[in-house]
Amino acid sequence: MSQYQEHTESVHNFEECMKCTVCTAYCPVLQVNPLYPGPKQAGPDGERLRLKDPYFFNYALKYCMNCKRCEVACPSGVNVADLIQAARIKYEQGKPKWRDRMLASTDFMGKMARPVAHLANWTTSLRLTKSILDAGFAIDKRRSFPKYSMRTFEQWMGHHHKEQAAFPEQVAFFHGCYVNYNYPELGRDLVKVMNALGVGVQLLDKEKCCGIAMITNGMSRQAEKNALHNVEVLKKAVEGGLKIVATSSTCTLTIREEYPHLLGVDVSEVKDSLMHACRFVFERLEKGAVLEFRDDFHLKVAYHTPCHMEKLGWGVFSERILRMIPGVEFTLLDSACCGIAGTYGFKKENYEASQKIGAKLFEQINTVNPDVVACDCETCKWQIEMSTGYKVMHPISILAQALKDND
Amino acid sequence: MNPNEFDVIIIGGGITGAGTQRDCAMRGLRTLLIERSDIATGATGRNHGLLHSGARYAVNDAESAEECIRENMILRRIAAHCVSETDGLFITLPEDDLAYQQTFVERCRAAGIGAEIIDPALARRMEPSVNPDLIGAVKVPDGSVDPFRLCAANMLDAKLRGGQVRLYTEVTGFIREGDTIKGVHTRNLQTGETEDYYAPVTVNAAGIWGQRIAEMAGVRIGMFPAKGALLIFAHRVNNVVINRCRKPANADILVPGDTVCIIGTTSTRIPFEECDSVAVTPDEVNLLITEGAKLAPSLSSTRILRAYAGVRPLVSADDDPSGRNISRGIVCLDHESRDGLKGFISITGGKLMTYRLMAEMATDAVCRKLGIDKACETAETPLPGSDERSFEAVAKSIWEAPSTVQKAATFRMGTRASRLKENDRYDDALVCECEEVSVGEINAAIERLDVSNLTDLRRRTRVGMGTCQGEFCACRAAGLLAGSHGCVERERADLADFLTERWKGNFPIGWGDTLREAEYTQWVYKYVLGI
Amino acid sequence: MRFDTIIIGGGLAGLTAGISLQKAGQSTAIVSAGQNSLHFFSGTFESMLGMPPRVVDLFAEAGIHLHYTPGVRLMSLGTFGKAFLALEDTDLFPTEKFARKALVVNFAGFNDFFSSFLAQGLEKQGIACRVRLIHLPELDPLRQSPSEMRSVHMARILDGIWEKVVQEVRVLIKDEDAVILPQVFGLQGADIPMKIRQAIPARVVFAATMPPSVPGIRTQMMLHRRYEILGGTYLMGDEVARAHVHDSVVHSVATKNMDQHFLTGDHFILATGRFFAKGLASTPEKVYEPIFGLDVDYSPDRNTWYDADFLKYQPYMRFGVKTDPQLHPMVGGEPLKNLYAVGSILGMTRPDLGSGAGLAINSAFTAVDNIL
Repeated sequence: MSQYQEHTESVHNFEECMKCTVCTAYCPVLQVNPLYPGPKQAGPDGERLRLKDPYFFNYALKYCMNCKRCEVACPSGVNVADLIQAARIKYEQGKPKWRDRMLASTDFMGKMARPVAHLANWTTSLRLTKSILDAGFAIDKRRSFPKYSMRTFEQWMGHHHKEQAAFPEQVAFFHGCYVNYNYPELGRDLVKVMNALGVGVQLLDKEKCCGIAMITNGMSRQAEKNALHNVEVLKKAVEGGLKIVATSSTCTLTIREEYPHLLGVDVSEVKDSLMHACRFVFERLEKGAVLEFRDDFHLKVAYHTPCHMEKLGWGVFSERILRMIPGVEFTLLDSACCGIAGTYGFKKENYEASQKIGAKLFEQINTVNPDVVACDCETCKWQIEMSTGYKVMHPISILAQALKDND
Repeated sequence: MNPNEFDVIIIGGGITGAGTQRDCAMRGLRTLLIERSDIATGATGRNHGLLHSGARYAVNDAESAEECIRENMILRRIAAHCVSETDGLFITLPEDDLAYQQTFVERCRAAGIGAEIIDPALARRMEPSVNPDLIGAVKVPDGSVDPFRLCAANMLDAKLRGGQVRLYTEVTGFIREGDTIKGVHTRNLQTGETEDYYAPVTVNAAGIWGQRIAEMAGVRIGMFPAKGALLIFAHRVNNVVINRCRKPANADILVPGDTVCIIGTTSTRIPFEECDSVAVTPDEVNLLITEGAKLAPSLSSTRILRAYAGVRPLVSADDDPSGRNISRGIVCLDHESRDGLKGFISITGGKLMTYRLMAEMATDAVCRKLGIDKACETAETPLPGSDERSFEAVAKSIWEAPSTVQKAATFRMGTRASRLKENDRYDDALVCECEEVSVGEINAAIERLDVSNLTDLRRRTRVGMGTCQGEFCACRAAGLLAGSHGCVERERADLADFLTERWKGNFPIGWGDTLREAEYTQWVYKYVLGI
Repeated sequence: MRFDTIIIGGGLAGLTAGISLQKAGQSTAIVSAGQNSLHFFSGTFESMLGMPPRVVDLFAEAGIHLHYTPGVRLMSLGTFGKAFLALEDTDLFPTEKFARKALVVNFAGFNDFFSSFLAQGLEKQGIACRVRLIHLPELDPLRQSPSEMRSVHMARILDGIWEKVVQEVRVLIKDEDAVILPQVFGLQGADIPMKIRQAIPARVVFAATMPPSVPGIRTQMMLHRRYEILGGTYLMGDEVARAHVHDSVVHSVATKNMDQHFLTGDHFILATGRFFAKGLASTPEKVYEPIFGLDVDYSPDRNTWYDADFLKYQPYMRFGVKTDPQLHPMVGGEPLKNLYAVGSILGMTRPDLGSGAGLAINSAFTAVDNIL
């Protein structure tokens, strides 16, 4: 009998659930929205019922933010959030709303907005526009929109790729939608830091949006297409001997974890080569690389660990590199969700919940009163800037700012 | 009219007794059912839950097969909320004889069972968990049935028609006048009170214990207890019943049922003394897992929830006391013609599937004795809660947008779930989170379904049948029961009994996640709750 | 990443060791596969037979005040268990008859608190009891979710309206000298339960509910915070997958999240708990320790692991890893020179160190002393 029952397997480990309820204690949504059944009911409990009959699928699962805090808290290793998202993908009927399509199609929106970026930015900041979007599309009018850049990061790289190629060591950069369409400055900061380490940066061969917003907005087939494309593109880089860095914590998690768990896309050939930029930098420094810093750099920094970074377990790398910058006065903010959860917080039905969820974090930021909040996630950045007024910078940008400029 | 006088007394609260009570009540008789424990505690509550198509018996026992398929179709109509129409597969594995399949199909068809040979690839699509190495597959109209709900529904129908039920009441002897049974002496096992009941006819529907009952009446039935062991897996691995297409052997049926699936079974002769304390042995566990994995390979790495065993009431076909001819068929004995004892009938043998037919036979015999000429209508009349619509349609007809709790209640209660419409938020609170059982559903069971303790409650509502095996719900349910019958001390003992009963089924498979769960439950009950 | 000591397992034992080592100037990391068993903690430390200043100080510095009162504690079903050391807001009594009359107060619809059992248990001890329910509309939103009227969610709301609760209780008290309330206060600190105590003119006893435990969550949060304030690195939600051992010395461990980025250290502490926490694993044939393959003290015959009576002591609760007198666990009889096993993973192999919370704390201190 020895070959039987050595270990048990179940989809997303749902059978390992001991019903201890620890996940429910850490779910940010449950704290503010009583309509949400909670991760235990939505996940492992619900799974057994759904296997009995698909009619048991509960549409209230849409309130799950996919923050993964339930998984981080689970002592049994159940992938609670994956169970919930997988159930939504499998059982949710009906096409996604126009609004959800719009919010999730970041590549498309980015391409459309770029040529008219100033106009688009001005328009979306108008109260009139926000009221129309609120009334017509249920996008909450209190939410601020990210600004679009006139020139994409890829365009900027186009002008710089020769000088980058000259570096003896190379790394590929999965920049993601945010850096490309909204905030190429972060991409430039990443290049600066990599160059300071003696590493040149190159683009991947036409990456697409990582697809996280599509996954949670009922567009999983489109997400799968993007995923298959991205994995091919990453494979090409890996075959060329390159490591790939990403600055977005969510893009990193999506490719490494959501692709295989939720979309069934195999990433085994690329997973180990893709890492978050802060981890890359830390590992270089640990191996002996040296960065030169300005003498006059002073910054009071409070670091907020994004939920997806918490799930990756790599917040410690961002923390470490910030701490080692001379002149940085560092505070680690308590682990708490900012509430926006990507496109979630834009939706009228979720806005109030988002703001309530983030309230504790905002309060702590106000108390700490830093010069800048450091955070690796772009949507956290929008949320914190809008809700507290404090500026948010990516740790890579802070690092870039602190570097001695050698001209 | 003496309140202790009835037209018929039925001994035994399993499916046969309940079905007989219902049939008698439908034909206008005043009925009393006496059961020494709770409903469905004998073989009724300890089997596969398989709604046989009869295919399994087609080759060796054509009569049983024909009975099965007819009753299968009837139960789908009259007990829709207790039955899942899953279909079944009879698979041939490389080590089996594929030639058997042809014989099998022919005999099925001859018995009126719709058997269709299908391509193994189609079988794999129909049921993804099936052993991919299968070389042959036959589709049959198997299904699954919840025996507790079925039993409770029959009893409820009888009660709605004036029938009475005495649970936890033991028959201690017969009231006999000459060669006629006039009634029974009983003792209530909860209060210790004794009571006599009278009826011109008494039906012995006590399963394997029927031998002892018959002896008390002064007649002899040759019965042979045959123990069967089964395993429950923690989730519903398959949606279609999977059988082995070969001569019936051990552990070759995997049945999906509600949120779980069950592999079984074995067959071992045991002495009568062991009937009340059957336990599953490590060898039986090994065998069930090993053979089960041949039907669905994922079972070897699926969490096992419980191990349990039941005792089949097998009867000698003739009066041969050595038992050489053991019948699995229905045995209906009129003791007047057989033994010269008037007013006494025994109905036994058979299977869960054919209970209605057994009840019909017994009731026909009762009516003959009473000189009543009424036809049996149990095959056409739906049981309370049964409805031809899907449970989704029923749920939506009661609540426009049913919540998960309401859906789960409808799945179990059928149209009777409409009682819960009066529920307020307090009643919607969940007691059992694994199986989604609310305070309201439990209160309804306590009110209408003769619940004395947590194990009774478990049988009727599935409280404690989920993966936590009572970890959370037992305590909450105990609180509700204490509130309803008012005795906390009794509920303390009940809680301890319930947990020990759950444990009995857990430790034979006490490794891996089961052991983790057990350790956690120990911690919560001993160190936090202080049981 | 390099640390002086790497602690595998972030429960009571792991945190005790981590806090002590950080305080002594070491750099440490705790790797914890999820939140820990303190979430089911009832408020008393079993098997702590004394009140060593070391223990008191460690907790006090984390903001947790303990009291030592040898006696009994009131358990959720109205029974009593022996205890000595407890949290500030968990009462211990010299004897079971700790009051003349008691008022048991619960919140309407809260099914995880067993007021009828409590009342009956107290009456058995000669304490006359009344049971009353409070209905607070502020708790109604919780009821919209059938499963989420739990202690921790209630505490979040009740901590904000505790004065109102006090008012309601005061109205209900007649001549009782004790009030029993569920442990649904004080998620962030013990101050609110203490304030409630002061504001009610009777002895206020907070009795445990079904898990999760509010004082448990609070305790682990404060210990976690203390550890991080001391500079410790708490890797939450990560799990050690492999260990690299040569010549009976552990060089590094690889975790699920860190994959190729090994954690190296001079010393390692294994505080991974028992079966629930996966510190020990079991198959139909054996019990084993999954990270290092350590020697485990257990009986090979699975039939002897259990007692059929659920209420009796279960033999498998004794199983644990074998250790030498310095708490080094062994592989094939050879001790691993820089690895220490602490906490419940020891099972009953070290009766000298106690059991439960006592074992966790005592063994953690022993390992820390050996390291320093």
